[in-house]
Amino acid sequence: MSDAVAQQAAEQEPVIDLSIADAIIDKYIDMSGNLMPVLQAAQDEYGYIPRCVADHIAERLNVYPSQIYGVLTFYAQFHLKPRGRFIIRVCVGTACHVQGAPRIVETFFDKIGIGHAETTPDLRFTFEKVACLGACGMAPLAMVNDSTYGGMTVQKVDDIIADYSKRPLK
Amino acid sequence: MVNLTIDDKQVTAPKTATIYEAAKLNGVNIPILCHDKKLKPFGACRMCLVEVEQMKGRQIPACTTPVTEGMIIRTSTPDIVKARKMVLELLLLNHPLDCPVCDKAGDCDLQNLTYEYKVDSNRFTDEKFHHQIDYNNPLIERDMNRCVLCGKCARICDEIVGFGALTFINRGIETKIGCEFEEGLNCEFCGSCISVCPVGSLLARPFKFKARFWSLTKQKSVCGYCGTGCNLTLGVKDNKVLTTLYDENQGFHNGQLCVRGRFGYQFINSDKRLTSPLIRTNGRLTECTWEEALTAVASRLGGGNSVAALATPRLTNEELFLFKKLMLDNVGSSNFDHSAGYAHAALTEGFTRSFGASASPASILDVQKTDLLLVVKTDSYETHPVIGFEINMGVKNKGIKLNIISDKRGKLSKLPGANTLVHSPGSEVAVLNAIAKSILDQKLSDGSAASIPGYAELEKSLAAFTPEAVAATSGISADSIQKIAKDYASVEKALIIFPVGQSYPGHNQEMASAVANLAILTGKIGKEGCGVLCMSEKSNSQGAVDMGFYAQNGGMNGLQILDACKNGTVKTLFIAGENPVVSYPNGANVKAALDAVDFLVVTELFMTDTAAMADVVLPACSFAEKEGTFTSTDRRVQYVKPAIRKNVKCKTDFEIIAALIAKLGGQAPSAPASVFAEIAASTSGYAGMSYVSLQSEGAFAPVNVTPKLVASKAAQTVSAESGKLVMVTGSALYHSGTLSQFGEGPMHVCPEVYVEMSRNDAARFKISEKDIVTVSTATGSIKLKAKVTPRMPEGVVFIPYHFSEAPVNAIWNGSAVTVVSIAK
Repeated sequence: MSDAVAQQAAEQEPVIDLSIADAIIDKYIDMSGNLMPVLQAAQDEYGYIPRCVADHIAERLNVYPSQIYGVLTFYAQFHLKPRGRFIIRVCVGTACHVQGAPRIVETFFDKIGIGHAETTPDLRFTFEKVACLGACGMAPLAMVNDSTYGGMTVQKVDDIIADYSKRPLK
Repeated sequence: MVNLTIDDKQVTAPKTATIYEAAKLNGVNIPILCHDKKLKPFGACRMCLVEVEQMKGRQIPACTTPVTEGMIIRTSTPDIVKARKMVLELLLLNHPLDCPVCDKAGDCDLQNLTYEYKVDSNRFTDEKFHHQIDYNNPLIERDMNRCVLCGKCARICDEIVGFGALTFINRGIETKIGCEFEEGLNCEFCGSCISVCPVGSLLARPFKFKARFWSLTKQKSVCGYCGTGCNLTLGVKDNKVLTTLYDENQGFHNGQLCVRGRFGYQFINSDKRLTSPLIRTNGRLTECTWEEALTAVASRLGGGNSVAALATPRLTNEELFLFKKLMLDNVGSSNFDHSAGYAHAALTEGFTRSFGASASPASILDVQKTDLLLVVKTDSYETHPVIGFEINMGVKNKGIKLNIISDKRGKLSKLPGANTLVHSPGSEVAVLNAIAKSILDQKLSDGSAASIPGYAELEKSLAAFTPEAVAATSGISADSIQKIAKDYASVEKALIIFPVGQSYPGHNQEMASAVANLAILTGKIGKEGCGVLCMSEKSNSQGAVDMGFYAQNGGMNGLQILDACKNGTVKTLFIAGENPVVSYPNGANVKAALDAVDFLVVTELFMTDTAAMADVVLPACSFAEKEGTFTSTDRRVQYVKPAIRKNVKCKTDFEIIAALIAKLGGQAPSAPASVFAEIAASTSGYAGMSYVSLQSEGAFAPVNVTPKLVASKAAQTVSAESGKLVMVTGSALYHSGTLSQFGEGPMHVCPEVYVEMSRNDAARFKISEKDIVTVSTATGSIKLKAKVTPRMPEGVVFIPYHFSEAPVNAIWNGSAVTVVSIAK
């Protein structure tokens, strides 16, 4: 690996503190069927499951690395890349669709410059289209983390982005 | 047994059978894609749908449904045929129809079933997959576009191989088989996944575009690498061995092979094979006729005890028997040996004194029948991978308790419930003695143990091996030793296995007696699932012992022969297939001996480092070109017949030795069969065997045990002074002896020697993976690549011994443990 490649790799994957993973594993090590809780707790701590954490869990729990990857890709709840501080979800279910969700989605794409399931380089926003958020009465609907925004309009997209761009990352 | 009706026929089947198995047992073939006889039922493909009257005509999968009394099953009603056609249509929706360029064509279950069910059109349309093909390794190609998601590859890798390289990834229509983080395959490359793939998703790359399946002649044979004695089916075309084929009904291992067996066949048709006799004239090896070469050799064989011989235990029983006869009757010398002399000591000295027989009183079949396995060294996965598969299946499917005593961890240590005790290198015999001591102290021995000869002496000799004392030197706690003793003694059936070989000098007669004592003390011998299995290194190591081709009656052993070459006592040395320059300890000494000896004859397949030093080189034949028998490590005598015609300019070792006997005025036998008749008449356990009786699956030569307890001496433990490490030698998973260097498969995945070390040591010496390091001792130094793994304990490094480039015997003098310095 050339120095430049190494540097690039280091930038993309910041140094991961494996002691956090160790603490989680210690907690569940004697439990049978501990893989899911360990992965869930690790994702809560790291925000996603970095490769080295997956490998470390495989080694400590004595599970095949391939099996861990199988679990990580089977469940939508696990993420393999760093996620943004603010997760923007826009509903594209039937009700939202007829109320204009595609235009909301397009607007988000334009304003923050990322597509579906992508994250901004500064790790501020992750954008996701979701099938239904279960609040069709509020269509078209968007969510940022746990806050809900009903009756979305193109103008409201600007407001949301402006609001969350001001908030601290940590 | 239960009674049931299959397609209007009254049949019976075992209670535990599934409908699929019951039908197969009674000659009814149900089509299936996701089933293999050794794997657990999975029910993924839905091809095996049948109708069961009691289930109101519903279509149910035959492979996952157990039989019940009175079941009425119909396997091919019009509805069933329609459903199966539909399954095939759906599979063919995404499966590319690139059969003309697919190596699987002709052997493809999907293709065969499509043909059988006449699926000549498809009512559906969809896009084909566009997965990238994995060409990252040189042996196994993975084309997920052809995959039908039967899951057999992922399951065999877990259930049998125990590596777990493959798994289902993603979900729904995006599901595919892959490795972690979409990487290329990086595994043991045993190719088990290829063997079970029902389509062309997994292919053997060395065989790609070599021949159509139907043009291959299938020749049954026995693997020529290790002592497991796996059965092979060689795919032959135009007198060339092009591949190995899978036959799930072959051998105890049901056709499973390791990387050497499956991918190491290329040496047979290698263009590096010797094709003419060579004789040294004016310092150079030049081609000559067989007559010239054999006359030259015969003229030097008249010196009685000044003639000595070393043979590889890859020769057949017939060849070794005849070779011994040549030495004793025609040459008049008892100086002959194999495997450097010490590698068979566990059998010829250890077991002989402990069991009264120079063979293991257990078979590989006992591995899955036992309750508890005590494995000395985890290397059984590396030395004898297919026995490793048996252990994996036993532990996972039958709940066998696995205890490991080893100087490093390994794949076996990762099996569920495996109890690994890592001891300091060289202290294994002391640990085994401490277990024996603990058995006596805890009064766990069998009632009749005290009446076995040697009991009193053993009890006395064990006084020094209290678990506490051994704990201090071995690094294994006294509690662990006591617990293992208790576990071992208290189960009904227990089996001990340990590997031997040229790179395991510590696994000698002392270790053999130490493990034998455990089995004898607790009465775990002579019963099914009990005993001690000494895993011998090469395809006919046990045969070489049975034929008596080792130093006996005052003859010199392998290492003594080399010393005698050096001091001039031995003037003619006849080496058949051995490569001592690389594989015997203290390489410089071996070279000096071969330089010093007056006349050196080597029969070989290749121009090895040893052959290059010879005065006469005779081109010999591989196992695929000759007739004879091999005796596996558990004393199964198996017949091999030529799979291909030999090169007309080569002779088998049998023909070479027979010709020399004739030249020396003796009566040369005409064919191996007549020699085998002599073997059967004179060798204990071989009585009644003949080529005819061995044809199909071979036969076990029984081992008669007369137990005796023998005090075994433990080696001094070696500790390294600060700044140094201790080195242990051994076998790498991908190799066997030095022959596998000529197999492209093993060389693709493990091309060179390496030194394996722990992460802590690597950090201490500031060494990272793949760094070139220098390992040195007083005798010399070698440069090799570093491999950093979590399995090595701190302070211990491991170097495999197979390689002529940077051979470990440049720094290794044959001791079990060597103190080395390491530097970047």
